Order: sequence, then C-alpha cells, then structure tokens
Amino acid sequence: MLHRLESLESCNYNGMDVAVLERQAARLKWQQQNYVVQNNNLVELCASSMPQFQGLIGSNIGSGQMVQLKRPEVFLGSGDFQEFVNFPVAGAEFGDSEKLDLVPPEAAADYCISRTSSCQMTALNTSVMKEEREDMVLEKMESTTGSGRESFNKRKPEAVADHKGKNKRIKGEGESEVKTKCSTEISRNSSKENSKASEVQKLDYIHVRARRGQATDSHSLAERARREKISMKMKCLQDLVPGCNKITGKAGMLDEIINYVQSLQRQVEFLSMKIAALNSSVQFNVENLPMKEFPAYVANFPAAAKLPAMAGLPYFQLNPLQKESVNCMLNESILPAQTATEGIASASVSISEQSLSSSSMTQLQPFSTWNMDPQGSSSNLTVIFHSSSIVRVEYIRIWHLIRYTPDTDTS
Amino acid sequence: MNKYNPPRMNPSSLRSRFATRFLRTLSKINAQKPTSSSSPTEIFRRYRRIKAAADKSMAYSVRSRRTWSRAMLWKLRTRPCGRRSVKTSTIIKSREARKTRHEKQNKNTTTTTTTTTGEDGVVFGVEADELRELVPGGEAMDLYNLLDETAHYIKCLTTQVQVMKKIADFYSP
Repeated sequence: MLHRLESLESCNYNGMDVAVLERQAARLKWQQQNYVVQNNNLVELCASSMPQFQGLIGSNIGSGQMVQLKRPEVFLGSGDFQEFVNFPVAGAEFGDSEKLDLVPPEAAADYCISRTSSCQMTALNTSVMKEEREDMVLEKMESTTGSGRESFNKRKPEAVADHKGKNKRIKGEGESEVKTKCSTEISRNSSKENSKASEVQKLDYIHVRARRGQATDSHSLAERARREKISMKMKCLQDLVPGCNKITGKAGMLDEIINYVQSLQRQVEFLSMKIAALNSSVQFNVENLPMKEFPAYVANFPAAAKLPAMAGLPYFQLNPLQKESVNCMLNESILPAQTATEGIASASVSISEQSLSSSSMTQLQPFSTWNMDPQGSSSNLTVIFHSSSIVRVEYIRIWHLIRYTPDTDTS
Repeated sequence: MNKYNPPRMNPSSLRSRFATRFLRTLSKINAQKPTSSSSPTEIFRRYRRIKAAADKSMAYSVRSRRTWSRAMLWKLRTRPCGRRSVKTSTIIKSREARKTRHEKQNKNTTTTTTTTTGEDGVVFGVEADELRELVPGGEAMDLYNLLDETAHYIKCLTTQVQVMKKIADFYSP
C-alpha cells in the first residue's frame, strides 16, 4: 500500500496534480493507519484515484470517504466550509452530504487532509491561506521532491473560521518534517492538544483552534477569538498595574485595575491641591519676608494618601505643622492678624515661600552654566513666565529637573 | 575634566509635552490670581483650576489620538467655567444624553451578543461599568477597546503624577 502511494508520488504530474496526489496519498496513509475497516475502500480509492488525477477531479474519492473521515477528527463546523470554496475549484460535482456540497472535491480533499493533519500536527502550528499559497510555495524549503509537495505541506492545516471576512490567519511552518511527523503524531491522542494555537506570529490576528467537543460555528469561534484578545489585553494591563502578578482571574484583575486608576486619579487631585497651596506662596512679596531657612519644614506630605474627600482646606498642611514648634513664632512674626486656621495655612505657605526664596538665592549661580534646551522651548517658557525673576528661575529649574530625570515612558 | 552629560530626555515624549504645557498653564494661573490668596476658598478654587489645567495639558499632549483624551477635552471645553454657561450646559447635557443614549444602544447590542455566548459578559458586567465611569469616554466602548484605553490612560496618569510630584516637591523642599 505504501509503496504504491510512493509510486504515485513519484509520478511526474504538474503542480496541481501532484498536490492533489500528495494530499490523497497522505490521507490514504493516515486512513490506513487508523482505520482497519476501511481497507477495502482504500484499495478502491487507490485504484480509482490514479486515472482521475489527470483531470483534477475526485468526486467519488470525496464522497465515499468523506463521511468516514469526518468522524474522529476535529470538526471545524459547517461554517468553515465556506472558506474552502475559495480554494481552486476542480469543478467536479460532489454529491456528499450536508455542506460538503459546497466544497469542490479538491478542496474537500484538502480539507480532509487539513483536518486530519490538524489533529496530529499541533506542534507545527500550521495553516494556510489561499492568498499565501503561491508565496509559500516559493518560500518553504522542501527536502522532498516536487512543488506539489510544497503546496501539500503548506496545506497543513489548521483552518479557522474566516468569519465574516475577518482574517484569522495562521502561518504555516515546519514543512519538511511534516510527512514524518504525520505518522508519528497520528497515534498521539491529539484531540486535547488541539486546544489553542500558539500565537507565535504576533500580528493582529488571534489564532483560534477548535477544541474537541466545542461548538465550531463561526459565532463561537469569533467569540473565542474575542475572548482571547481580551485576555491578551488583560495580561498587558497586568504588567502595567503593580502588584497584579499574584491575582489570577479576570474579576480580581479588573478590581485591581479599577483601584489603581482610582488611586492615580486621587493622587492627581492631591498633587494639584498641593501645588495650589504652594503656588500661592510664589505671589508673596519676597522683599518683606525675612530670609530665614527652615530646613526641616516639609518633607512629610503624604504623597500617596488617599483622600476620601477634598475639603476646602488643604488639610495636609496641618500635619507637619503640628509637629513644628516654630509655628507660633512664625505666626507672630510674619502674619500677625489672622485666625488660627488661616494663620497656620498662611504660615505654611510663608514657610515654603521663605525656603523657596532662600533656596532660589543659592541656586542662582549654577544656572548660568546651564545648558538650555537646544530647541529653545525653555526660553519660551521664560518669556511667558511671571515677571518675578525668582519665579522664572524656579520654573527653569523645574524644567531642568523634569528633563533630566530618567524617562520611562515611550510615547 | 570629565563633562557630565545628563541623560537626555526625548523632547517629544509624553512626559516633556505634558510638563511643558502644565508649567505654562501654571504660570498663567499664577499670574492671574490675586496676591493675597491664602483663604481656603481661594485655594480650593485654584486647586480646581490647576486640576483642570493638568487634565487639559495631559489630554492635549495625547493630542486626541485616543478616545479618552478626546472625551476629556470635550468635557473640559464644555464644562461650565463659572456660572455663566448654565444654559449652554443644559443644552450640552441634553445633546450628550442623546448621544450617550444612542451609544448605549449600540453598546447594548454588542453586549447582548457577547453575553449570550460566553461568560465574559457576565463576569465583566459590574466591573466594566465601573471602569467605564473611571476612564473618560469609556461609556460607549466595548470591552476590548475599553481595556486598551485603560492601559493608555494608566500610562498617562502615571506620567502626570510623576511630573506633578516633582513640581510639588520642588516647591516644598
């Protein structure tokens, strides 16, 4: 039987014929190994296949055998047959049951082969698209002979529903070992391994493979593809959100993401409040205030505090101030006639103002040696800025600080 | 003598764009407000403006490449700046309501198709709605796009927080 197949293979047909030939040969081989019952049919098939290869038809090849071939394999479902209409049509009638009517025999044979080998060659991650076929013929290297074999190897399966014109392409690989692997993997219980195709080629396409026993209509396949896209996205989000590695499950992940986004938004609110409070200090008249240094003033703003509600008062200023014993003195010396809360608030801003001004004085010198932004954007900033020279200097310094910190984002 | 070259930041990165704009707006806000503003209400008002400025500059830095930035910009533009535009805000609200209703119809159709087939719709129902409220412009997106926008939004938020933290830390050494 096998040697007969090989003799078939070695025949000198044109590309298409050999392709069909090879497919039939492989199918026959597979059949032989799996189906003892079908021996008679196979023999008939072999006998009948020979004369028909000339004309690229195989109607009774298909019809007789299709039904049996359908049984054990992964059956991708009725909707998938539609794609195989795209395959080069042999043109013969095809009287088999159900949707096979739509599929020309050569395509059906292809599909058979594809289905069978899809069972086995999970590791190969192969499949074909019609448009690729010609390219792949040129690309794929074959140790064996004939261009037909190349196309055959390319047809190594895994077709997924080309649902609604969506191209779920699956690249083909692993050609030369296909034939050998075919035999070795046939015996493997591959139906379970058929589950998900690896997404090796990271295009926008998601590879979906139908599992055994799962519905294989186009809707569920599309649904499965969508779900896999979403799970990919969740993995990306897991990298973004810190501390999500231990959480498995979509619901927990989503909760984590929601918490993180909320905390980030609250941080922005808090920081803007802080800047609002601190910025008021910039407007103070610098000349009237004594140039005292308060080194231990600030530092303890709870940067990551989660504010349940943003009250009107910048309450965060109260905390470090309560620890400072200097406050009373400041209140008296600087801002004499104010209420307690206001005094504290203004004292805090005055403290910051003083520290600001004192630090600015010391920092004026290095600025002259600075490299300004070659684009001149910082010079634009200076033009727009407040007329106070100290403020201008401070903004330049901020710009410098921000510019020269390691940048982590990529956009 | 070795000249120390500090690591150059990409001048067109998100961080630099946001920092430039935000600093500019900050300076404008500083220039506009009165000098004796230390009352809580005044500070609160300034806080609101600064927060809006931060959001706006972030959205402008993204430059409407993303749905959330477009939604945020639209929201900021149509937000009543003061009391004068109450009327316009009601008009805008009705327009918005119509738009969101229309979008919700689309969303409902998509969600119904998804909930029938898999457990996705059921699992993500509550959390997805919460996420939609958080991310600007997320009301009318399906789950995949919502997750996409969330990822970008998180990235931009972290940038924003870093820059603002540096500014705030600078002013309070």
